[in-house]
Amino acid sequence: MAGDKVIFACKGLSKAFGGLRAVDGVDLEVREGELRALIGPNGAGKSTFFNLVTGQLRRDRGEVYFNGHRIDGLAPYQVMRKGIARTFQITSTFRRLTALENVQVALFVHHQRHLNPLALFVPGHKSMAEQALHLLEQVGLADSAHKPAGVLSYGDQKRLELAIALASEPRLLLLDEPTAGMAPTERREAMALIARIARERGLTLLFTEHDMDVVFGYAERITVMHQGKVLVEGLPEEVRASPEVQRVYLGEHG
Amino acid sequence: MQGALRKGLVGWRVPVVGVSVLAVVGWVLFLGASLVFPKLAPVFWVQFAIDLFVLTLFGLSLNLLMGYGGMVSFGHAAYYALGAYASALLVKKAGLPMPLAFVLGPFFAAGGAMVFGFFAVRLTAIYFAMLTLAFSQIVFAVVFKWTKFTGGDDGIQGVWPIKALAAPPVSDNYYYFSLGVVLVCALLLYLIVNSPFGYTLRAIRENPRRAEMAGVNVRLHQWVAFVIAGFFAGVAGSLFVFFQGSVNPDYAGVARSTDPLIVALLGGMHNYLGPAVGALLYKIIFFYVGRQFPFLWQLIVGIILLGVILLFPGGIMGAITERRWRRLPFGRRKGVPTVAPGEVETPTGSSVGGGNGGR
Repeated sequence: MAGDKVIFACKGLSKAFGGLRAVDGVDLEVREGELRALIGPNGAGKSTFFNLVTGQLRRDRGEVYFNGHRIDGLAPYQVMRKGIARTFQITSTFRRLTALENVQVALFVHHQRHLNPLALFVPGHKSMAEQALHLLEQVGLADSAHKPAGVLSYGDQKRLELAIALASEPRLLLLDEPTAGMAPTERREAMALIARIARERGLTLLFTEHDMDVVFGYAERITVMHQGKVLVEGLPEEVRASPEVQRVYLGEHG
Repeated sequence: MQGALRKGLVGWRVPVVGVSVLAVVGWVLFLGASLVFPKLAPVFWVQFAIDLFVLTLFGLSLNLLMGYGGMVSFGHAAYYALGAYASALLVKKAGLPMPLAFVLGPFFAAGGAMVFGFFAVRLTAIYFAMLTLAFSQIVFAVVFKWTKFTGGDDGIQGVWPIKALAAPPVSDNYYYFSLGVVLVCALLLYLIVNSPFGYTLRAIRENPRRAEMAGVNVRLHQWVAFVIAGFFAGVAGSLFVFFQGSVNPDYAGVARSTDPLIVALLGGMHNYLGPAVGALLYKIIFFYVGRQFPFLWQLIVGIILLGVILLFPGGIMGAITERRWRRLPFGRRKGVPTVAPGEVETPTGSSVGGGNGGR
């Protein structure tokens, strides 16, 4: 459960695409161990926000702090090495590598073996295979370890992404719609798995999600974005009761 | 688990750790045959073999970039030529002994790859390809125009190896030397592509964004691969210059850059030995067809390439490991199955092994 330490914070984070203010002065604080949902209608700026945090997009203004360090302005790989990992809305794996190799590569990188000249002559398929298999077991994918990632089912690819993310032993996990494209029962399972792993490892979770059952079932706090701004932030019941949130969601869905 | 591991992307593993009896037998036979070859074969075929070894190494070095790194270079001859010219100039202008010049040459190639690669890896796909082509044209222009230093159009003549390796028209010793150098380099490259470095490189090929999000400094990684590939292209160039006894601007020409490309495509760029098989095929086709009809050679190569790309996008090795001939003719491109959101697809497992030429 959430501690008192703020592990992730951003202040006045902004990004405009031409005239569109995709992210507009977002302030956000997440405490260590917290499971935080970031919700909002399509186009609210959630994915842009993620891309700003990870350095994939360059911010216009604002500051991002992680674990006491300022991380805005860093390249994505540098952000990742600070202890943040992310998954993508559309599954993103190394399709022609096996599931095991996918996780192995993430482990190589985390343990700095990928550029280590001494490891140059270590057979890669054996290196860290056990740890990788262990991670696959944790996400329930051990049976598919030797299948190319590209042939895995959509749900399994999401699990694989999670294993890849966990390989870097992150302290903050950014999940962009972790259950998108799954069947309803699969969603519940997937989110239960994520929440369990997060609690076991004391991970901080910041996730976007459209499925409200998932959001209200697992998030400890919820931040609602609308038109690039933070509309409301609070406990699930507070958010549920908020007239502004209802207006935004009802307004969109008619 | 071992069996499943071996069915992985590379399909065919050199028996460094003795994984496959068949492979061990194959290698023993190959080595035995290559050792007695110059004793039995006429001089022409010994020369043919040296030529083949050099082309094999050249193709393997490009394939580190292309097959494993997903970076298609149209100008790999730049590093081949840099290695060749550096070795020749070190002998002719600096007066270094041949062995030293031979060893140092590739480092000049790697240096050139370091400079050009720094810029090239900042671009992707066709822009990367065009920039590598441009760099090779720069090398060509320099060696062509700088007559005082590089001999210009005439190049540099009389670059012979030490006596132990040289006896006209070609010595068996240079054959063994080439064989040894190429085998050692091929083994090194094999270890590299199968190391954590190599797997990370493949991951970048598959999905650079995901790789970056796993903490990979993608450009740095690609740059290192570029330099390694340049180094081994330089070894091929150095090896060739002491075999030919001369070097000229053609070493950096476009045709020289397309050689390793063709070889890798023919043999299969998703198999480690693909370029070696491709080189053999390319040289044999050239010998039996190209020499008879020199004016048709480019056309023949074009037609063969077209056939391979359409029918066997994974090249010869891809066709073998994928059993692709079963899907003839003009089978749909069955690369990695695409999985639509929410759609569960039954994995076919074995057919994906061995690498495919999907892209």
